[in-house]
Amino acid sequence: MFRSNNVAARIFERQIVTPRPGTSVNYVRQFYENLVPNYTVYDVDCPDQSFRKFTDDGQYLISFSRNQQELIVYRPIWFSFSYKEENCDSVDLHQKTKRIDSFFTQLYSIPLASSNEVISKDFFLYVESRQFGIFATSTAQSQEASATEGAIHGVPSIEKITFHLVRLEDGDILDVKVFCNDFINLVHGMGHGIGHGMGVFLYDDLLCIMSLRYQTIHIIQIRDSGNLALVRIIGSFCREDDELYLNSHTHVTERGHFLSGIKQRLLSFIFRKTWNDEVDHILRVHHLKKFYFHFQDYIDLIMWKAQFLDRHHLLIKFGSVDGGVSRSTDHHPSFFAVYNMESTEIIAFYQNSAEELYCLFEHFYDHFHVTSRNSLHLRFISSPCNNIHALDQLLGIRIKACTSAQFVKKMLGTLPYTCQSQSPSPYFDLSLFRYDDKLISSMERHRQSTESPIKFILRRQPNVLKFKIKPGPEAGGSDVRSKRISSFIFHPILPLALSIQQTYMQPTVVNIHFRR
Amino acid sequence: MSSSSTSFASGGGVRPWTSATSVSFSGKRIQKEMLDFNANPPADCSAGPKGDDLYHWVSTIIGPPGSPYEDGIFFLTITFPGDYPFKPPKVVFMTRIYHCNIDAAGNVSLDILKDGWSPAMTISKVILAIRAVFTDPDPYKPVVPNIARLYLTDRAKHDEIAAEWTMRFAR
Repeated sequence: MFRSNNVAARIFERQIVTPRPGTSVNYVRQFYENLVPNYTVYDVDCPDQSFRKFTDDGQYLISFSRNQQELIVYRPIWFSFSYKEENCDSVDLHQKTKRIDSFFTQLYSIPLASSNEVISKDFFLYVESRQFGIFATSTAQSQEASATEGAIHGVPSIEKITFHLVRLEDGDILDVKVFCNDFINLVHGMGHGIGHGMGVFLYDDLLCIMSLRYQTIHIIQIRDSGNLALVRIIGSFCREDDELYLNSHTHVTERGHFLSGIKQRLLSFIFRKTWNDEVDHILRVHHLKKFYFHFQDYIDLIMWKAQFLDRHHLLIKFGSVDGGVSRSTDHHPSFFAVYNMESTEIIAFYQNSAEELYCLFEHFYDHFHVTSRNSLHLRFISSPCNNIHALDQLLGIRIKACTSAQFVKKMLGTLPYTCQSQSPSPYFDLSLFRYDDKLISSMERHRQSTESPIKFILRRQPNVLKFKIKPGPEAGGSDVRSKRISSFIFHPILPLALSIQQTYMQPTVVNIHFRR
Repeated sequence: MSSSSTSFASGGGVRPWTSATSVSFSGKRIQKEMLDFNANPPADCSAGPKGDDLYHWVSTIIGPPGSPYEDGIFFLTITFPGDYPFKPPKVVFMTRIYHCNIDAAGNVSLDILKDGWSPAMTISKVILAIRAVFTDPDPYKPVVPNIARLYLTDRAKHDEIAAEWTMRFAR
């Protein structure tokens, strides 16, 4: 049957054809092939701010002031204007398009950080069900951290880290949670000093915060009332009342160097596994010898990052102290443990080269990236287990990798997942469009800018170029040698995107891409 | 997955050689005891040197079935003195335990580890003795008198608390 892909034909088809049950969303999404951000307004006149991202429901655009002390929130509005003349297609767009306030209305600007603090630019989490935003501010980081009781060596210290729960509707700060003389990772990804990435993860209404200095996972519940309630602390102890229980039963203060709660669980898991798996006496003795040989290494492991797998299970990454501070983590093995918070048991433990964990990761990719029990957006973020083209890409990387072990380590290096770091924009849907993922992807990241525009090509026949995104000034940069960094902010629903290009010692260039 | 297949690459497992007396009498003796121990380990017990240092061992004792310590995994460090076997090894629990013969710092207080020590003792015998006090504490020579008193006056309550500790701190 002949099928036309033009928008009129598709609307007509939508009227008369009932898609197979459950597929209507995918069907409707094909309209995005027709509605693309194909018009660019270069170098928009806008205040000097760091535009951060759209919330996943598209309601708000989050931005921080240049001095990183104020939160500025915008509401996207669809650009509209009227023309008196006829044949308005042929005329250039109005001068109004040059201004950012034609596309966004500023809702409010509120101070979050005091004079000696700054807002962590990389960090923002959105609680969609309540339209709450979570932000972090912190004082400067000091390398020569004074030895505090209970803190580990080799991790820097920040005097004060504050998490702010903000109602985005009106900018009301509902609650704050303060961590003192601690270190919590608030930057994206690897290579930013202390590697391993974001130390905070949000699942439904549960927030997991990894305190690196005190080796403690704080589980905080965001109540509907707007309170941040501490529900669990995992580290020295596993159950909420362990410490209380211990204090009520010992009359002398402990002087011993006991294993922390989480380490006892980890070591006993490894021991049991070694003990039970091997029935042959000689082999068991041999394996246990190895376990004791590495015993101190296991004790020296620290928790680097954690994520939720569901409401009860955490995926925790363990590594050496050195492995986190040095830039290259290749030489230091790391491990992944699955921990059940309710039963306080470790239920699985893998090294970062484990094929078995990689297989689970490849086949159940979405389960590692889940941020809610009922996330609508997640279904449309292309992944190797929901999209054949994403799987192709992954297999392509696998073929190019030198050794299988290297590939496994590289892929598992992305775990635990950095929460809300992918844009649900339909233009990143690999079943709709093809693009160079080295230049742009749904993953939030600053990238080296290239001179040529980024092409989005239709995945379906006739495989034509649908639109281009070009960051930076229209005429290209004046100095080709200077390093330019660009980032892209796509609206999750509308054909609307911002590209932001920063060049050393030059003003930031913001372009708006939208459907004219 | 076999956890024993997990390994630490360079940088992970290298520790300085702490003892200069590795070929000494004590070293040979410990080496021999290690072979004997591995050939014929006591039930539900296991032990081995930590890293490549013969004088620092780790031992694991599985809580004996039927005792309030059942299902617990107890890790201990055993430190041999340079003049072993003429002096007893020092045994410290790394896992918290509710027991009248083990103090609040985890130190094991057993007669054979103090005045009752004899060079004829071996590490097997020491570990066996520790495992024996799991089922039969000695409340008449306690280091934690409160626990000993409770053990003697209200055994059921004692066992209940010991089991609760095991569940919380030794699983």
